Amino acid sequence: MSKKKQAAGTNLLYQLIAEARAYDDVIVMGRGDPDFDTPAHIVAAAKQAMIHHQDDVAPPAGLPALREAIAARVKRVNNIDVDPASEVVVTNGGQEALFLMVLAALGEGDELIVPEPNYNTYADSLAFAGGVKVAVQTAHEEDFRADPALVQAAITDRTRALLLVSPNNPAANVISPADMRALVNIAIEHDLMILADDIYDLFVYDNFVHTSPASLPGGKERSLTLNALSKAYSMTGWRCGWIVGPADLMARVAELKAAISGGTSIIAQHAGIAALTGPQDAVNMMAAAYARRRRLVLDALDEMGMQYGVPQGGQFVFANIAFTGMDSAEVAQRILSEQHVLAYPGSAFSKERKDYLRMTFLQPEEQLVEGLRRMKLAMASI
Amino acid sequence: MASQTKANILARHAANAALNIPLPGISMRGVRDLGADEPFHPLDERIIAGAVEALESGQTHYVDVPGIAPLREAIAKYLNASCGASWQSANIIVTAGMQEARFLTSQIIGAQYDSIAVPAVAHPGLQKALGLRRRQVLSLPVEAERGYLPSLDDIAAALKNGCRLLYLESPSRLSGAVYTQSQVARIADLLAQHDAAAIWDQGLARWVDGGCNSLAARAEESTAAIGEAWHGIGLGSWLVGSIAAPVDWIAPMQSQKQIMAICTSTASQYAALAASEIVSETHQQRLAQMRGQRAAAVKLASELGLDTLPGAANNLLALHADEAARRKLAEAGIDFAAGEDFGAPDIVRLNIGVATNAAIEALG
Ligand SMILES: Cc1ncc(COP(=O)(O)O)c(C=O)c1O
Repeated sequence: MSKKKQAAGTNLLYQLIAEARAYDDVIVMGRGDPDFDTPAHIVAAAKQAMIHHQDDVAPPAGLPALREAIAARVKRVNNIDVDPASEVVVTNGGQEALFLMVLAALGEGDELIVPEPNYNTYADSLAFAGGVKVAVQTAHEEDFRADPALVQAAITDRTRALLLVSPNNPAANVISPADMRALVNIAIEHDLMILADDIYDLFVYDNFVHTSPASLPGGKERSLTLNALSKAYSMTGWRCGWIVGPADLMARVAELKAAISGGTSIIAQHAGIAALTGPQDAVNMMAAAYARRRRLVLDALDEMGMQYGVPQGGQFVFANIAFTGMDSAEVAQRILSEQHVLAYPGSAFSKERKDYLRMTFLQPEEQLVEGLRRMKLAMASI
Repeated sequence: MASQTKANILARHAANAALNIPLPGISMRGVRDLGADEPFHPLDERIIAGAVEALESGQTHYVDVPGIAPLREAIAKYLNASCGASWQSANIIVTAGMQEARFLTSQIIGAQYDSIAVPAVAHPGLQKALGLRRRQVLSLPVEAERGYLPSLDDIAAALKNGCRLLYLESPSRLSGAVYTQSQVARIADLLAQHDAAAIWDQGLARWVDGGCNSLAARAEESTAAIGEAWHGIGLGSWLVGSIAAPVDWIAPMQSQKQIMAICTSTASQYAALAASEIVSETHQQRLAQMRGQRAAAVKLASELGLDTLPGAANNLLALHADEAARRKLAEAGIDFAAGEDFGAPDIVRLNIGVATNAAIEALG
């Protein structure tokens, strides 16, 4: 137990995942891995590629046909205009895109403004680059809104970039069009780069609207925008993602990509082409399922009297557990060992968030209902 | 208004010369593409079946960062059988291709040492990987006559001067030259003597007569062996590689792999797993065929008065070729790997395949 308490960030999560595997009846509301398998037509296209595209090589920037499909996608969904030949780089999933984006934009001592809580790999990648994280805290009472005024106040003469993950992981807030405009204007005014992570852009609830900073006036020339097939198409295992941005920066991103991994598997890329250019019904079906599940989870949290930031998008809810008086790592541990339900402790995301738990909607409804029932029992015993 | 921040970023990257070096192709695009180091091989249908079966049964989700357990085991088994090591699954990380293996080893094992000594001529991916973060890099002198392998004296001198980490290729990625058994034994002794370690690229060892002469067999506790899984089986563009290393090194590399990739594509991993069953099946015949093709290419080159470099890997041949000779190659529509990208101007590297002789005729 004491060892578990010491583990920080990602390591803590891996310990919990390892323990969860030991239980046959575990209900996983932890890892951000959709329960749906990849739609069959995408698997079928991958199979065809294995037979008919054995001669394809994997240029560092990606297969031209996939870059075309990505350019069309970011135009259609995000209203970003990019040239497929010079402004798109294919990556090993969103994670490599994230690492490349950080390495491209930030060097030794450069500051990145990060609304918190946020996806912890940004801090890890920034540490590799020698950059410095400047956190702007957000609150569940305000649904984790990153107030542009607070962002502005965090700018120093070392600030080089702004991180905008919308919908966010784990906070699940969506940056409103008005706030996005204000944030892009701040970036322009202070000559900052924008690192945009749109990986959850197809999952937005109620009347919230997703806006890509690169779609706004003056946004594209200073933005690197990542996305991936992982969440939208339930393709986490394939490892296919991308970055789009202005050609001059993207040429550097392509060089970094070559240095890190050379290229991206052509099979994952052909699967990507099928995903982006084929029927989209599966995405719509999954989005509808997440919307229903979200309602289920929020109703259960309400019954438990838990406070949370209303998830405006994404696949999670970040709930406050301060009333337990316990550290989230301990709470997550108890829920797991007593009730075999895996939820992620907020402390894995940042040390300021040890009063939170992240729960995903990534289980079939009956599983979720059972998981929430057990969670209630666990919380009652705490 | 132009962005000064962006201009500074571009200037920072432009100043990093290592990032601008082009990488040679990984797998052949067609018979006249002799620039990649993987020989062309059609995919065995059992490999496709293995990948498809896994995907159809739902292996489309995240898997363990260091790789799926059966593939780690298969890689350990293969390395132990072919190189005389005694790795366990826990010693293996599956990587998204060879370049990720270069990056993880040189950067993450590299971070535990003050400096790293690398051959002055090596795969350009090494310079690129090292260029991503400031490292103290010591260049080991090399000569064309020795196939660009650093001499034992120079290795010893680097160790004596306090450098504790080596990066070596055997076979050389440019010439295919290898260290002999006794040289490998001597390198192992030097490592022990200086409490030093080595990253050892043995990816091309499958194409050497007499097999893999790995440093890992003699210095397992201080060697990280890297390579493709498996070279020349037809999975080049699927990007599967591996790192075999002492467990103490696995943990930090695994953390970095999580940060930069989460895991390697399941399609690639299950294909490599299926390939592990048949990787040795027809290998001796292929090797014999390539040995014959390479010998014929060397003979033709010598008849045409061309200067070939010593090399033991039957999948490639390096030759001296000046600017004019290269132009002729290009005019003949043949792609080759340019020596200058490896640090050796006036050298071309040709893949051994059906067009190799045509390439040599163009050069001669
Ligand atoms: C915000 C965010 N960005 C990027 C990623 C990386 O996703 P992947 O590499 O699976 O595409 C994740 C994964 O959870 C994420 O939550």
